[in-house]
Amino acid sequence: MELGVKMIISTEECGYCGACVSVCPHNILELSEMEIIAHEGCEECAFCMVVCPLGAIKRGEK
Amino acid sequence: MKYDIVVVGGRIGGSTASIFASKNGADVLMLEKNQEIGTPVQCAEATSSRTFKTLEMEPSSKYVCSEIKGADVYAPDGTHGHLEGGYAEGFILERKLFDKHLAIEAAKSGADIMVKTMVKGLIRKEGKVCGVVAKHMGRTMEIEADIVIAADGIESRVAQMAGLNTSQTTKSLCSCAQYEMVGLKTDPDYLKFHFGEKIAPKGYAWIFPKGDNVANVGVGVRSNTENAYHFLKKFISNMDATPVELNIGGVPIRGPVEKTYTDGLMVVGDAAGQVEPFTGGGIHITAHCGRVAGEIAAEGIKKEKTTSNFLKKYEKRWKNEIGKDLKDSLKYRKILDKLTDDEINILAKFLKEQDLKSISKMSMLGFVKEYPQFLKLLKDLL
Repeated sequence: MELGVKMIISTEECGYCGACVSVCPHNILELSEMEIIAHEGCEECAFCMVVCPLGAIKRGEK
Repeated sequence: MKYDIVVVGGRIGGSTASIFASKNGADVLMLEKNQEIGTPVQCAEATSSRTFKTLEMEPSSKYVCSEIKGADVYAPDGTHGHLEGGYAEGFILERKLFDKHLAIEAAKSGADIMVKTMVKGLIRKEGKVCGVVAKHMGRTMEIEADIVIAADGIESRVAQMAGLNTSQTTKSLCSCAQYEMVGLKTDPDYLKFHFGEKIAPKGYAWIFPKGDNVANVGVGVRSNTENAYHFLKKFISNMDATPVELNIGGVPIRGPVEKTYTDGLMVVGDAAGQVEPFTGGGIHITAHCGRVAGEIAAEGIKKEKTTSNFLKKYEKRWKNEIGKDLKDSLKYRKILDKLTDDEINILAKFLKEQDLKSISKMSMLGFVKEYPQFLKLLKDLL
């Protein structure tokens, strides 16, 4: 799933813990029971990538 | 649908608030987004007797796995300190069962509970929070309430929707990964903490025994280069034990958020940053704040006072009762953040030689004379 232009979350690696949601400065992420919902507005600060305990969020290829 | 109070989140903060609001006469609905209360576990499961005192419950073998007598703490070079009793004493819970038990207590107290129900928005009238918009099995519903208690965890959006700033930063959130492991030979009565930049940068690794050679083995880190799972795999690489559960999550460690109430809403627990910054422990703090929020909410309903002006009593009370503990804990965490591995080793060796209960000024002065870099640390502490 693409969060922003270049941030990609692997749904296979995601553990649905919500760490990424808590640090998103634009509040675009939402954790439902087993799904991370990404609304529009990602500015690729990559805070979500830094705090993800499982390393499930990566920058896409430029 | 209309309730006096809607509580968002059905873990420790939410259930505790629901129990004490219901017991004090309010009509409560608790919403939990997961279909099963208590899962997935995002916790190392250690707590102290303070939790049970707050909840007015006796610890029960139904959800207490083991009793803890103290802790063994390891500096980066392996220098080992032993803590007996006091602050290090407590219990290891089975959170799945404990959280479910609390929800059952909330229901017995008269609270209604809806599971698999996610809050998508707030109902607001003239700026005041007056309920929630929730989604259950694809159906969206409006639930009116005079007070909303947001106990929706680290991923909280409810307090944010009401205009409170509950967001964390990469520096304030400790990223954690833990295996529950079977067949691990570790002293069943003592917690183990390991510090070091290579083991768990800007955090620590832990082994919390759950009895019968089962233990929670985890790491909490703040790192820009490697994730918590990487450090967990490294930490367990030489352990002859088998994982039966993987838990992950973020722990807020910069202390409570700036404001924990607004018109018609209070925020509780991880969502409010109500966690001890030094240890990352939040169970007893959240239970305490959940109880205060529940009691204040019920009082507000009785007196028909549900605006900011009344709900500020919540913040005043929790700050009075546990605010200093949280501030001190943050101070120690900030000091530890500044220490290098070498400095932690030196400090550990010094403390090991002291009787911590009667550490003398002369020995402290002698230590600082030998290692002047600790002078500032000493000033910060005193």
